[in-house]
Amino acid sequence: MTKYVLKRLGYMVVVFFTVSFLMYCLYNLIPQDPARLELEGIKTSLKPAEYEARYQALREEMGLDDPIVVRYARWMGLAKDRKGNLNGILEGYFGYSRYFKKDIVTVVKDPAVNTIFINIFATILALGITIPLGIYCAVHKGGKFDNFTQVLTIVGYSIPTYIIALLFIYVFAVILRWFPVSGIGTPGANYTGMKYYIDKLYYLCLPLMVMTFGSLGGMTRYVRAAMIDALSMDHIKTARAKGVHEKTVIYSHAWRNALLPIIGIVIGWFLGIFSGSLIIENTFGLNGMGSLYIKALNNHDYDLALAMQMFYTVVSLVGALITDLSYGFVDPRVRIDK
Amino acid sequence: MSERKKSSLIQRLFGNRNEAVDILAEEQIQSPSKMMLDNFLHNRLGMTGLIGFFVILLIVSIIPIFMPINLGESDNTQTNTPPGLSMMAFPKELEGNVADISNGPTFGAGVDKDGNVYTWGHTKITKVIDVANIPSEVKRAHIVMLSCGYDHITAVDDENNVYVWGNTRLGQDNVPSELVPSRTRGTKEIIQLETGYQISGAVTADGEAYLWGNENMSDLSVHKEYQGHIKKIAITNSYYCLLLDNGSVVYGGFKNNAFSNVPASLKSHVVDIAASSDTMCGLKDDGTLIFWGNGTHGENLAPELSSKPVEIYGGRWHYSALLENGDVVSWGNNSHGETKVPDSVNNAEIETIFSGYFQNYAVTKQGKILTWGLKGYVLGTDNLGRDILTRLVHGGKTTMTVGFIAQAIALIIGIITGGLAGYFGGSVDLIIMRVAEVIGSLPFLPFALLLSAIIGSTIDVQLRMYLIMVVLGLLSWTGICRLVRAQILAEREKEFVLAAQAMDVKEGSIIFKHILPNVLSILLVEATLGFATCMLTESSLSYLGFGISPPTPTWGNMLNGANNSIVIQQYWWQWVFVSFIFGICTICINLVGDAIRDAVDPKSLGR
Repeated sequence: MTKYVLKRLGYMVVVFFTVSFLMYCLYNLIPQDPARLELEGIKTSLKPAEYEARYQALREEMGLDDPIVVRYARWMGLAKDRKGNLNGILEGYFGYSRYFKKDIVTVVKDPAVNTIFINIFATILALGITIPLGIYCAVHKGGKFDNFTQVLTIVGYSIPTYIIALLFIYVFAVILRWFPVSGIGTPGANYTGMKYYIDKLYYLCLPLMVMTFGSLGGMTRYVRAAMIDALSMDHIKTARAKGVHEKTVIYSHAWRNALLPIIGIVIGWFLGIFSGSLIIENTFGLNGMGSLYIKALNNHDYDLALAMQMFYTVVSLVGALITDLSYGFVDPRVRIDK
Repeated sequence: MSERKKSSLIQRLFGNRNEAVDILAEEQIQSPSKMMLDNFLHNRLGMTGLIGFFVILLIVSIIPIFMPINLGESDNTQTNTPPGLSMMAFPKELEGNVADISNGPTFGAGVDKDGNVYTWGHTKITKVIDVANIPSEVKRAHIVMLSCGYDHITAVDDENNVYVWGNTRLGQDNVPSELVPSRTRGTKEIIQLETGYQISGAVTADGEAYLWGNENMSDLSVHKEYQGHIKKIAITNSYYCLLLDNGSVVYGGFKNNAFSNVPASLKSHVVDIAASSDTMCGLKDDGTLIFWGNGTHGENLAPELSSKPVEIYGGRWHYSALLENGDVVSWGNNSHGETKVPDSVNNAEIETIFSGYFQNYAVTKQGKILTWGLKGYVLGTDNLGRDILTRLVHGGKTTMTVGFIAQAIALIIGIITGGLAGYFGGSVDLIIMRVAEVIGSLPFLPFALLLSAIIGSTIDVQLRMYLIMVVLGLLSWTGICRLVRAQILAEREKEFVLAAQAMDVKEGSIIFKHILPNVLSILLVEATLGFATCMLTESSLSYLGFGISPPTPTWGNMLNGANNSIVIQQYWWQWVFVSFIFGICTICINLVGDAIRDAVDPKSLGR
């Protein structure tokens, strides 16, 4: 097992550096000149010759004329910058956001907490609903309820999230007036303690509902399919023939076998909703990573966008790693094979 | 079996096979592909999905041919109009008894010879202002003429009282004191009433003209020297010109603008004047039409006329003229059919015409009212006054094209890489699979957003659309690649490949001609579902503002403006229709994909 874990870890590190290098190159394709932007404010007060001299000095200082590999190494924190310090992502310095005029770590902190909170919350909610539903449908396969759920889940996973969001806003915020349309807290109200969290949760209700509802369709189908496969295995027949209680057959014998594909799907889907929450956050005006990312792209704050892109990449890589490890953990064949 | 022969086509398409065929017998008479087709054809949901999808496909591919889109189109008078076709639906009471009709941008108003006022069309201008709320004093009075502006109606009764209702917040009801009947000065008899955007003007029997309303951007004062000689007034959106009793046309105001230089040929022998929104027109007694102002829709180009025009009437961007021989001609903008005079009008004897905005009403000598022009919008308009139906079908065309081409790109890359990796294995396999894994591990939506941002919005809209297709294709081939590889790994070991190798068939030919046909059915499933996914991704990108950029419509960017409570609540038609048809479309594609998967998978037959 240790060897397997180390192998996966090593592989992940290689992919991380490849992807991050690719990203860095891509961002450098965007026509932009940080040195010129830096001087934009004082451009008019300088003589052309003086401006040119300062511009060249700044370029030199920022190391813009170095080859891209060197710049990448510096940004990563693998090589020393002009001042002789190691100061890059690996040291925890993600760069400076030109739009917010703050360090990127400070800018990202609050939105990241919000995003992670709503994503984990939505995952728990969705799992809590889909697993029992999927099992029930698999056990009663072909029944009226199952057929009905099948049709409903197709509808659920076909319709894009933002259309579900629009519908939910229309029903719950506009007609019924149960929840606020957008935002992440009552404006102007400075609640503290428990009240702050209740207020926040109240504002997050609608986005959470949409996220959960949006993931019900696909998840239920996966759980159902995995469970049907598990129930058609031979050992289930044996167990039933031996007169094992039906509940034990389903929840102990079959469910454990269905768990393997479900884990993979759940983790893949969990990562998917990190990108999916981009749309939710944008629609509901939540202060999260997704809306921050879009703000960064819209305002040409590419250092910030690049840092956040790295976050998304790391999340998906870690997710893939956890998937692999959990496969190895649940199914011994996997770790022996590789 | 005899029962089955009798069953209708529908039953054969949607019905289940009731009679049990012996498995061996069935397999003997059916090839596997025929069995798959049969399975698919007997899947009710799948067939419903297929038919639904084809209906939508037909709608978005055929209707755009008959419904050309003008991407630059926008009209601030038609913004946020709800669905409906009632803009020319005048009430029956007016028929044979009409005294005056006038049309606003989305509503109409008329008055019959008994002095009753009627309104029709979309009269609700804002949440609180509704021109259909006719004030009680107007209902009591005996109205003789009225005129509709952008958001108000002005009316005059038989005692020359002026009434204004609708939006009156910008001075639309500041009726000049000269027009208010008084015991000391007497009552001025009003002979003509006209309105512009938010202004109104009246001409009195003793040749004086008075204007009032929103003074921003308009020129409401009248030169003193013309007062007493005025025969007729014509009002554009904000400016006016006057026809004097000596047969000359003058610009009556003080400001300099496109209208203040009246063409020299209109200094004499003018019999009629009219104004559209941005142009003015004078009719000389020899039948020539002379235009000035800023014509943008061809309304300032006189058409070939079969005889001399006698009277002219102006709409928003068109004119209508009544000719000496009784014919009616309209010219100018025809985006809503306002210049397409129906034959019934030319066959009838026309007494007079009322034109306004996009509507025309012709009254025959018998009192019958014939109409042509804009009836309304079947699905309403968006926040720029563009017809949603047109944008919906064209948007569907764009969305489907983008999804289709992106998926085709993904399919081609996926088949080639997957085929190579699966057949050759070894280092080729290793490299291709590592590349696929790296691309697959990229977070899709953020990465697509990034690529779209790199493409930038400065390039040509058309080129940007192609680049978006390529980006989507390049990001979504990995699944197909993995699938093809796995299938080929399984097929590679079979005897027929060995036989082909023994016969010295080229390797490329073995992969793509001998092995690939065996995995086609699974590819079909993947391609169908991938098509839906690509459509969803494109629309998500456009919804976030990073996909196809407006004015090119797609189902995604049509919803871009919809995520605020005002649109969701008040202008429901701007998002409901798009959401509905898009939802149906993706559901149909997914149903078809599921049905194909079931048909291909022998396990689903329960054997």
